[in-house]
Amino acid sequence: MALPQQQIVNYPTFKLVLVGDGGTGKTTFVKRHLTGEFEREKYEHFYTNCGKIRFNCWDTAGQGKFGGLRDAYYTQGQCAIIMFDVTARLTYKNVPTWHGDITRVCENIPIVLCGNKVDVKNRQIKAKQVIFHRKKNLQYYEISAKSNYNFEKPFLYLAKKLAGNMNLHFVEMPALAPPEVAFDIAAQESIEQEICMPAFQPLPDGDDEAFE
Amino acid sequence: MADPEHREEEEAPAVGDDEDTGAQVAPIVQLQEVAVTTGEEDEESILDLKSKLYRFDKDGNQWKERGAGTVKFLKHKVTGKVRLLMRQSKTLKICANHLIIPTMSVQEHAGNEKSCVWHARDFADGELKDELFCIRFPSIESEYWFTRCYHVWCFHS
Repeated sequence: MALPQQQIVNYPTFKLVLVGDGGTGKTTFVKRHLTGEFEREKYEHFYTNCGKIRFNCWDTAGQGKFGGLRDAYYTQGQCAIIMFDVTARLTYKNVPTWHGDITRVCENIPIVLCGNKVDVKNRQIKAKQVIFHRKKNLQYYEISAKSNYNFEKPFLYLAKKLAGNMNLHFVEMPALAPPEVAFDIAAQESIEQEICMPAFQPLPDGDDEAFE
Repeated sequence: MADPEHREEEEAPAVGDDEDTGAQVAPIVQLQEVAVTTGEEDEESILDLKSKLYRFDKDGNQWKERGAGTVKFLKHKVTGKVRLLMRQSKTLKICANHLIIPTMSVQEHAGNEKSCVWHARDFADGELKDELFCIRFPSIESEYWFTRCYHVWCFHS
């Protein structure tokens, strides 16, 4: 199924619809998966034991604040993530609305409900209070886009369902040999200068968090 | 996962983390297992450390996280060339991939003795890009071994 403006590749592409109230962390979550924040494209690639796959991520970029999204956003959506913020009760209350919008246009597609920001100490929605997914047979994951907690789970679940293979898992992305680089001394000296300032710039997060 | 940050999990309903809640959806494609390669088959690992990698965003004048996972120094069994390769945990995607060459140098990050900074022409995305990296380790010992390994192989390459 070819979607408009989609480049043709020889591995499967799935259109992913990402919804949820503004401020729930949708964009941060997608950026996490773009191996850093600097890839412009919204394609999210994964390497699996069943070959390479990619998700074409449709992120609302705040349009949801103005009440609902156009149907075009959902058209031909093949899977979806509904995000809420466990520290903001209203964002969970709105989950049924988002779910209704998805199922109205996309009918029966795999959907993951994500409770984001579980790293924050003062939660308004506890894990046991999250029950919507049971009524609708959605998969639920508690995640933290900030600390990477469970960040791979939603994509892994969707990939398994879309591929009809519950043994699907992520494998090492092939590490190509980097080409030789010719360095000149002048360039190196200017780089040494450049490093000085960032070396004093603090890192974005605390020193005490766990490493996996 | 022993992570004190997420004690909330203990209160979670008795649904296993990976348990399928039973959505019945028809697969779109039928994917079968294929042979996979890591690209590391002809190399041996010299050092292998848990860490978190950042890249410097010049426009925003700030460090941005590139991924948390495992950084390795890999030595090619035939050519003897050494490269630094870092993969994100869980997804196993590549965050950094570059050769260690004599002109490179690494220095401690001023605010944190468990982290250090260097410049490289990096190939993580499959094209060469100038990047300023900062890596943070869980311990001073890890940082020591990283820096030491880095210097040794800059010298020997």
